[in-house]
Amino acid sequence: MTDASYLPVSKLRVSNLSKRFGSLEVLKKIELDVVKGEFISIVGPSGCGKTTLLRIIGGLEHSDEGECKINGKNIDGPGKDRGFVFQQDNLLPWRTVQSNTEIGLEIASERLSKHRERIRSLLELVGLAGFENYYPRQLSGGMRQRVNLARALAIDPQILLMDEPFSALDAQTREIMQTELLRIWEEGRKTVLFVTHQIDEAVYLSDRVVVLARRPGRIQEIVEVDLPRPRPLSIKRTPHFVSYVDHIWKLIEHDVRESVLVEHI
Amino acid sequence: MTVDIRQARAPASRIVPVKAFMKAHSDRLWGPASILGGLLLWEVLSRFVIANTLLLASPTQIVGAILELLASGELQRHFFVSAQEFLWGYVSGCVLGVLLGLSMANSVAAQRALQPWVSGLYATPTVALAPLFILWFGVGIFSKVIVVALLVIFPVIINTEAGIRTTNPQLIETVRSFGATRFQIFTKVSLPSALPFIFAGFKLGIGRGLIGVVVAELFGARAGLGQLISQSAETFNMPALFAGVIVLAIAGILLTSAFTWLERKLVPWR
Repeated sequence: MTDASYLPVSKLRVSNLSKRFGSLEVLKKIELDVVKGEFISIVGPSGCGKTTLLRIIGGLEHSDEGECKINGKNIDGPGKDRGFVFQQDNLLPWRTVQSNTEIGLEIASERLSKHRERIRSLLELVGLAGFENYYPRQLSGGMRQRVNLARALAIDPQILLMDEPFSALDAQTREIMQTELLRIWEEGRKTVLFVTHQIDEAVYLSDRVVVLARRPGRIQEIVEVDLPRPRPLSIKRTPHFVSYVDHIWKLIEHDVRESVLVEHI
Repeated sequence: MTVDIRQARAPASRIVPVKAFMKAHSDRLWGPASILGGLLLWEVLSRFVIANTLLLASPTQIVGAILELLASGELQRHFFVSAQEFLWGYVSGCVLGVLLGLSMANSVAAQRALQPWVSGLYATPTVALAPLFILWFGVGIFSKVIVVALLVIFPVIINTEAGIRTTNPQLIETVRSFGATRFQIFTKVSLPSALPFIFAGFKLGIGRGLIGVVVAELFGARAGLGQLISQSAETFNMPALFAGVIVLAIAGILLTSAFTWLERKLVPWR
């Protein structure tokens, strides 16, 4: 075991991170260490700050306290090392699938001709081969999310940040997209941070699930998911899988009930 | 066997082609039919009911006048003058309008400083200032160019600013996540997203600009379609008067449809 590649290398380190909006404590003393190639999900009730945490890591927002480091370097603003996949697909309606996918490279002033072949195989990987010249309005919700993912992958980021990317999809499309995401992830094994409010989605996809509590948003537990890969959809009906989901649900049930009550007042 | 039967029956359906054509296109025939009916009614009214060429010219008389004016080169002369006035005024109004609209959308100071003028002058019937401009700048082309530009500029400013401002903030956030600079956000998101609005402003400008040309010429000009119209009115030459109006109408229709075509080319995602 002298080979360095066997040692877990910390890719992303979040330490003592806090964030407040006015008097509201959104995140409090978050500690998280993510290893290269890991698939991490962040779950929690609405208002627990999971999206805020992702946005801080993405450089779209600043923290009030604490640190966020990628490869030991502090995050200050968005960068080419991170690819953000948004909840709404946010595709530019005047660009085709191909040129929507290329926008990150364009912004980084890359020569597009240099990347043509890679973009072609990337679009094939996400199942969009043959749709390169379609406009977003011509695509279904699932396909638009594929473009959203391809756009983030096109800049070849070290970390993929995904903010509830499947929440707008119907239940069946969503399950298909989960398997598709795992298939794509197996290809490059990028480090992934995946925010979701759906527990079974988190367990199905992840190596570890970070469970957040609300008010203030803090880490309640980090659950290691010890399920073999590749994971077929049928794994969701095994007792082992269900016990993970149950465990996480019990962790956040109280918070969820409370947040539902608050939202209805 | 089935193929043979189909082929044998095919000609049978072509026996009544006119009926089939009418059935398929009847909705489209209403437009041309309405225009033809209107022209016919006009012809009948002016020939037999009013029957006074000092008050109303019939469509055939107008066509005759147009041909006559074309033959003498008069129509071309007037048209060329008006076209020049419109073109210079319209282009400068559009260019300035876009520039001012963009600066208002991008700078709070510019917005604050320009907004009262824009709202005030857009609501004012600026054509009423035409006599003033003619006094200031003379009866030549320049005074009309100013009037046209002044009429065109406001809808362009307002639409450009609104277009940039209504850019979906989530799209801006998306390119920002890739590290886009302010300039990149502007060129890659705000500007394309505002294009349909800006085009709508250009289109509004066509109608207003044509009004500007004619009204300004009515108040004093050496040549132009508006001058042709006012001159013909003074001499009760109804056919020539209508000829001027018809040429203006056709110019307006052609310009607007050219813009619709251009818009479809430049904004294909809509």
